[in-house]
Amino acid sequence: MQKLIYIFWYIRKMRYVKIANEQIHDFLNQLKQYGKLYAPVKVSDKFYDRKEIDDVCDIAFDYVRTLLPAKKYFIHPKEKMFDIDIENGTYDEPEEKIEPFVLFGVHACEIVGLRILDGVYLRDYVDTYYKRRREAGIIIGLSCLPDDHCFCNLRRSDFVDIGFDLFLHELPDGYLVRVGSPTGHKIVDECAELFSNVTQEDIAAFREFEEKRQQMFSHHGSFDNMRYLLELTARDELWDEESEKCLGCGNCTNTCPTCRCYDVQDIPDIDGKTAERIRFWDSCQFRSHGLVAGGHNFRETKKDRFFNRYVCKNSYFYGLGTSYCVGCGNCTYFCPAGIDYLGNLLRVRSASEPEEVVHEHN
Amino acid sequence: MNTTENIYSLYKCRVLRVYDLIEDVKLLLFRFENPDIAESWTCKPGQFVQLSMPALGEVPISICSSPMRRGFFELCIKKTGRVTDKIHELKPGDFVGVRGPYGNGFPVDEFEGSDLLLIAAGIGMAPLRSVFMYAVDNRWKFGNITVINSAKFGNTLLFRKELEAMRDVAEAENIRIIQTVTRDPDWPGRVGRAQEHIKHANTDPEKTYVCVCGPPQVYEDVFNTLIKNNYDPRKIYVTLERRMKCGVGKCGHCIAGTSTFLKYICIDGPVFGYYDIISTPGLI
Amino acid sequence: MSDTMKPKVGIHGLTSCYGCQLRMASVQEILRVAQRFDIEYWSMLSSDGTIRHVDIAFVEGSVTTMADEEELKAIRENADVLVAVGSCAIHGGVQGMIFGEEYRKVFGEIYGNCTMDFEAKIAEPIHKFVKVDHNLPGCPPEEDEIMYYLATFAMGSYPEEKDYPVCAECRRNGYPCVLIERGEPCLGPLVVAGCGARCPGHNIACFGCRGPVPHGVAWFDSLARTFREKGMEKEEIKARMEIFGRQYEKMNEMIEKVFEHED
Repeated sequence: MQKLIYIFWYIRKMRYVKIANEQIHDFLNQLKQYGKLYAPVKVSDKFYDRKEIDDVCDIAFDYVRTLLPAKKYFIHPKEKMFDIDIENGTYDEPEEKIEPFVLFGVHACEIVGLRILDGVYLRDYVDTYYKRRREAGIIIGLSCLPDDHCFCNLRRSDFVDIGFDLFLHELPDGYLVRVGSPTGHKIVDECAELFSNVTQEDIAAFREFEEKRQQMFSHHGSFDNMRYLLELTARDELWDEESEKCLGCGNCTNTCPTCRCYDVQDIPDIDGKTAERIRFWDSCQFRSHGLVAGGHNFRETKKDRFFNRYVCKNSYFYGLGTSYCVGCGNCTYFCPAGIDYLGNLLRVRSASEPEEVVHEHN
Repeated sequence: MNTTENIYSLYKCRVLRVYDLIEDVKLLLFRFENPDIAESWTCKPGQFVQLSMPALGEVPISICSSPMRRGFFELCIKKTGRVTDKIHELKPGDFVGVRGPYGNGFPVDEFEGSDLLLIAAGIGMAPLRSVFMYAVDNRWKFGNITVINSAKFGNTLLFRKELEAMRDVAEAENIRIIQTVTRDPDWPGRVGRAQEHIKHANTDPEKTYVCVCGPPQVYEDVFNTLIKNNYDPRKIYVTLERRMKCGVGKCGHCIAGTSTFLKYICIDGPVFGYYDIISTPGLI
Repeated sequence: MSDTMKPKVGIHGLTSCYGCQLRMASVQEILRVAQRFDIEYWSMLSSDGTIRHVDIAFVEGSVTTMADEEELKAIRENADVLVAVGSCAIHGGVQGMIFGEEYRKVFGEIYGNCTMDFEAKIAEPIHKFVKVDHNLPGCPPEEDEIMYYLATFAMGSYPEEKDYPVCAECRRNGYPCVLIERGEPCLGPLVVAGCGARCPGHNIACFGCRGPVPHGVAWFDSLARTFREKGMEKEEIKARMEIFGRQYEKMNEMIEKVFEHED
């Protein structure tokens, strides 16, 4: 109930301002006063990733996807859960000083992804480690244009209403800024000299951008019946053929904004007196994920594991009324074997052969 | 022990007793060190805890004692790997870390007023013992009760002696205990698989709740026999096992199901109904 | 644990570069390791060649001579737990690349007709001769894994072995994928993790020194297909995968299968 009230509060208080291109670097520099600034930068010939920003000129505004999704700031790829005193049998949480940080340039799909993670990590039992970082993170969204792999439109995650502090929509001469939280209001108030009012031309440009963006998506329609079709096609040869290509490397899950499986391990010190309990990203594509005591494996074959990801991603996330998949296309883009996740879903949806999609990176 | 609200923090528990049950299976009795926890900690039949051995890791273990017993609980642990090997080395007075209870447990409130049929195969009696003990402790809430405990050999029947020792109580309380073995020519008692003894139960199929636990391959035959004997499929429950790393619906190791029925076994289970099981590939 | 209960350890080297032993000897905390174990035997550090009973024997190197085979059997008989250390012991190592028919030919080319005072044979992993309890992979193994293995043994337990590929660590560390980006023949998807994806982290494609992921989840066939789609020839692919994976059961078959479909 409390959550619902917050939602209304945010929407009712929605505020729009504009920032001109000339002011954007000033704005980014000012953001640093709210915490460490992380934003997408080009890290290699083709890839972008979020890094801590020293010079704001390095920030890439036109990136499509980053190597690792924003989840890495909230569920660390590897982290210590407890310091263990073996003799006394005590488990102490490491003292971690969580400093505020700003994630700049988060796309809509990733914001939906974070809300899905919230639904898992903050529901019923609240994951302390996640919650503290989530509270410390300021999210500045950024509009984007899709590439061939994007299908957030089919997942209804192409536009976000909440889940950000500010959201910047590209305009020809700047950005239309939506304010999405009290922190967002505070930032706008404190940097007031950088913002101006939204004009009629800006609204027209915003509308034009949104229309252009919608037309750029390669596929249209709805994936709402995907859940049922996946169950009905579970025995199709498609899954044999596609899983045969799979390398079992786990790239798809590690680069997924909503994959959140982790493994836990105790690492004893050589003195036998202390140990560390660590957790790190795991993947359902790995053999031991479905293994239980006594050696039975609930996902015995590569095909079981392969299909499991399709099922899991396409299942219903009650918290948001969407699927766990946000349509970002990362799993296809970062698949070394070139397995086309969207293409496979389209085959399930329409039964006809998919159009040949030429992968940029192949 | 950490007092903050970290859901992965552990309660310190002292081992009070260690019984050898069958080969590689021990029953351990634990007590909470902190009196406030001992006072307030409750569980439901069919729930599980995460048991931690420092520097080795955590394992999910079903609670196998009656929830009516405050401040204490029993765990029945089979030696199957790194952590359980070390658990078997525990002696009275040793400490372990425990968190929980987790999972939905059996809907025992719904069971009230009905007959109960508990069917265990292999080491399936471990989680079902909590239901059985609960029913014995609250005898007036239930109708007739039958326990079918099956294993390959007489010396691998879990809780065999305990169930034998209850014979007098059972007779006085309309409880039927059937212990059966499948491969032991020297066993003087009943032989055959668990489902072959469903017909000997004292329960009225029309108004009976059934709880089943065993290795994955036994379920189909048990279900078929139950349904053939007019037991209501809507009243059949099963408890499942997975290697949960968190127990609280985060780590994903126990996710099972299909795209319309995707469940975390640790929070949505480990107890599932018959229709969940048959309509969800991969659950058992 | 009192001093009298210190586990006894033997560290042995068969045919290999002794790099694994060197790595074990040069761990930063070697003095603390020495306090926790009684080191009964260490072939690299001591000339005492008597094999005595130990709780844990670490064996580096592949079986390349009859003498190796006999020594290995003696080690096994005198050890409660046997750990294969490094790629040579686990998979046969680089020297195991010359295998089958090819062996005679190469042997002849190198040694000609000269006589030797030992009988040489194909270099093979130690599990072909004795039961191996645990594998400590690497070429050489990483310090953190050596310490983890030793620490678990010291407390009377044993380590959890990794069964996932280098790619997992490469992603966790946020390195760009050289296979996707540059089409380089990175063996990361096949090779067992533990190195923290050191080579891809330096922009170098993994060439598989740690050996294939255990438990039959090294998909040589799928990776060969991927390489073929990037324009590589069968022989090229084989040559690369054979460096450390030559004796992986079914490797050849798996690669052939991919090409047979297309011919």
